Amino acid sequence: MTSFRLLGFAVLALAAAGQARAQAQRGHGTIVIVIGAEPTLPVPTLSPNKANVDVASLMFLPLARPGKTLVTTGEAGFEPMLAKSWTRRDSLTLVFDLDPRATWHDGVPVTSRDVVWSLNRARDSAGPLPYPLLLRNLAGVTAEGPGRVVVTFRRASAEQMFDAVFHAVPLPAHLLDTIPPERLATSSFSARPVGNGPYRWVKFEPGRQAELAANPGFFLGAPKLDRVVFLIARAGEAQLNLILDGTADAYEAVLLPRQVTPIVENPSLRILTQPSFGIGYLLFNQRAPGDRTKPHPILADPEVRRAIALGIDREGLVRSVFGPYASVTDGPMGSASWVRRIAPKLPGFDPARARRILADRGWRDADGDGVLDKNGTALALRLNYPGSSLPRVSIAEPVQAMLRAIGVKIELTRLDGPVWDDRRKKGEFDIDISQTTLDPTPSGLVQSWSCAGIGPGGTNVGSICNPRFDEALHQAIRASTDPTGAWKSAISILQADNPAVFLFSPSQVVVHHQRYRNVSVRADLPWSDLWRWSVDPSQSLARDRR
Amino acid sequence: MAAWLVRRLLQAVVTFLAVAALLFVLMRAAPGNPLSRLTDDRPMTPAEQQRLQALFGLDQPVSTQFTRFAAAAATGDFGVSIEYYPVRVNTLIRSRLPASLLLGGTVLLVNLGLGIWLGVLQARRRGSSIDRWLTRLSLAGYAMPSFWLALILVSVFAIEWRLLPAAQMRDPLLGAEAGWVARTLDLLAHLVLPVVTLSVVTIAATMRYQRTAMLEVLRLDYILAARARGLEESAVVWRHAWRNALFPVLTLVGLMLPMLVSGSVFVESVFAWPGLGSLAAGAIAARDYPVLMATALLVSGAVLVSGVLTDIGYHVLDPRTRS
Repeated sequence: MTSFRLLGFAVLALAAAGQARAQAQRGHGTIVIVIGAEPTLPVPTLSPNKANVDVASLMFLPLARPGKTLVTTGEAGFEPMLAKSWTRRDSLTLVFDLDPRATWHDGVPVTSRDVVWSLNRARDSAGPLPYPLLLRNLAGVTAEGPGRVVVTFRRASAEQMFDAVFHAVPLPAHLLDTIPPERLATSSFSARPVGNGPYRWVKFEPGRQAELAANPGFFLGAPKLDRVVFLIARAGEAQLNLILDGTADAYEAVLLPRQVTPIVENPSLRILTQPSFGIGYLLFNQRAPGDRTKPHPILADPEVRRAIALGIDREGLVRSVFGPYASVTDGPMGSASWVRRIAPKLPGFDPARARRILADRGWRDADGDGVLDKNGTALALRLNYPGSSLPRVSIAEPVQAMLRAIGVKIELTRLDGPVWDDRRKKGEFDIDISQTTLDPTPSGLVQSWSCAGIGPGGTNVGSICNPRFDEALHQAIRASTDPTGAWKSAISILQADNPAVFLFSPSQVVVHHQRYRNVSVRADLPWSDLWRWSVDPSQSLARDRR
Repeated sequence: MAAWLVRRLLQAVVTFLAVAALLFVLMRAAPGNPLSRLTDDRPMTPAEQQRLQALFGLDQPVSTQFTRFAAAAATGDFGVSIEYYPVRVNTLIRSRLPASLLLGGTVLLVNLGLGIWLGVLQARRRGSSIDRWLTRLSLAGYAMPSFWLALILVSVFAIEWRLLPAAQMRDPLLGAEAGWVARTLDLLAHLVLPVVTLSVVTIAATMRYQRTAMLEVLRLDYILAARARGLEESAVVWRHAWRNALFPVLTLVGLMLPMLVSGSVFVESVFAWPGLGSLAAGAIAARDYPVLMATALLVSGAVLVSGVLTDIGYHVLDPRTRS
């Protein structure tokens, strides 16, 4: 009798455990994410604004995406998304087979027509910025039946796969092909986007929040969090406070140690840090400020630039400003970039050598005021930076002090964001504290660091032009097999030219409530794996069951 | 009275047009490219720049831009926001105005209700310890930066003690199914810290104005006569003295009324309050000309309207001003 009773209890216990497991697998949970801008146009290729891109990444899938290593060359490292597989037909042709399970949120299957229409629309020179430029290597996109897409390229290159899948994410042609391209942004589709991803659009309340709901029929697996709310708070203090008081569950930012302290002290929060595609550097202007026809009277000399770079203790600076939340970078690539792993190390802090180089170039302190001069010109430079950027504000004064020690006078010019941006683009600066987030591909260096990027259509505001680097960059981009050596060579040439003092790559800091499990965040699109996150049933909150 | 009113209104209209023209020119003269945000610093070819400029009418001379703006604004259309493209400015204003009205209105009520009462109390107890302490406290509040006070209040009441929400206007997960009682309580909870912040830093002016005005009136003979007639002290103070001590406060109300629509840039930012103040702050940073013009004109209009209303109030209440 006792054994029957025991058996009965065991069966009941197993049944209860099974039920709990089923419930957990079905998934209930909510996440409130704080963002700093409004997602007014969360449709791929319509807006490069980060809030729009973050929200769109949960609703729209690419054909494939770079894998965990974020390597952008070759095809093997990519993860299938809308395309279940791909094959290379020849050196200029890639064939994608779509996953037949993929559907749009209105139930219509995702077909080759959607992919062909979307890529061709993005390639159109009259299309939205900057996609025609990014997709310039694509020669044609055609369909072979409803499930196969053929992409042909103009030239062989190691990044063909990346070019085909990364920039232009497919949109539903059956809903959009009758809308003129210039009206797409103002169409009803843009107000209520229909995607194919793990989450579907629910609503947007301007100034407050945007809300998404799980797509239970998502072909890669039903999301385990039912609801995603993007809460809008522009000010950094408000974002942090919303996390600390428990209103929000997650946020992603570049943080300084003093901002991290209250998060670390909060037992219900976890911090996830990982490499990012962001970089910060002191950009030298190689042309005269305000007159790009003349060389810069001081910084056109590469030896002066080299001395300034040697006079800055990059390790110490990054450690004191960011603590563990950034790393020193040796070139124009973020810590998440695969090129970072092959880039040569830059020379370390060496003020004695810096002083020697300057002396060799004729810079001496003739009047004993501590500032070097040459032919009556003082070695004095203006350092521009935006007052709204806390990391750059924190960097400016230490840089001034370090350069003062080698006889360079730095005048700090803290500017309102738009004024700083305006002066930067017009080349009205000596040294600029620049900070940017790069694409995963190093090919983007063309716009900011090559001769081709000078003037309209480029972002080479420092007027950096070294034909040797351009040639090496060209070879690296065009390398059709392993481009590692070519990239290493290109970066070495750039480093030797000292167009900038490469300082830091901030960590991507993601703060989230500790009840979440399977937390994974990507450096390129931080929330795109949110559908894999789940809530630990034993720690779920009332908000998870609402 | 009618002729005076027409003259006063005409003055207001002329001032409004001059302010509009000045704002328009100043905004265009300020450095910064409003299109930078649209492309997120990605390279633009001249043709692409031209296309974007044409989209927002920025390719035209400033005079043409102003004429077009004025013609559209006269019909109540402020165009399309650059930063929130493709959202129309009117939609943005409509979505943000209620939050500003709620916050500004509540602060105004607290400010006038509590400020007047405390000012009268101080005047009645002139020189007492209550008077001295209220003066010290109100001046301390007046001297406090609203931004700093907001951060302190949030860190104590929202983060440390978890008594009140730190930011935003309502619980992001509270849906319509929650019922109006729950939603009203939630709204009130979110309102407390911003209202306290703004009230603490502005109430001193009301208290000081009211105290001074009351002290002058309480010295007058008719108050002595009222007391001699045996009227209750509260009747003497509120019915006889306070009415005549209201004029300076009326001026102050006129100055405070624009707060209803202008919001507070700093406080709205710290509390992520979705009002016009935070909208304007964002528009300044992004050089979003259409939104900037609309918010600036709204505030200018509110200032002029409250000025006219104050003058009308004086005209009606004080016969001396009619001459």
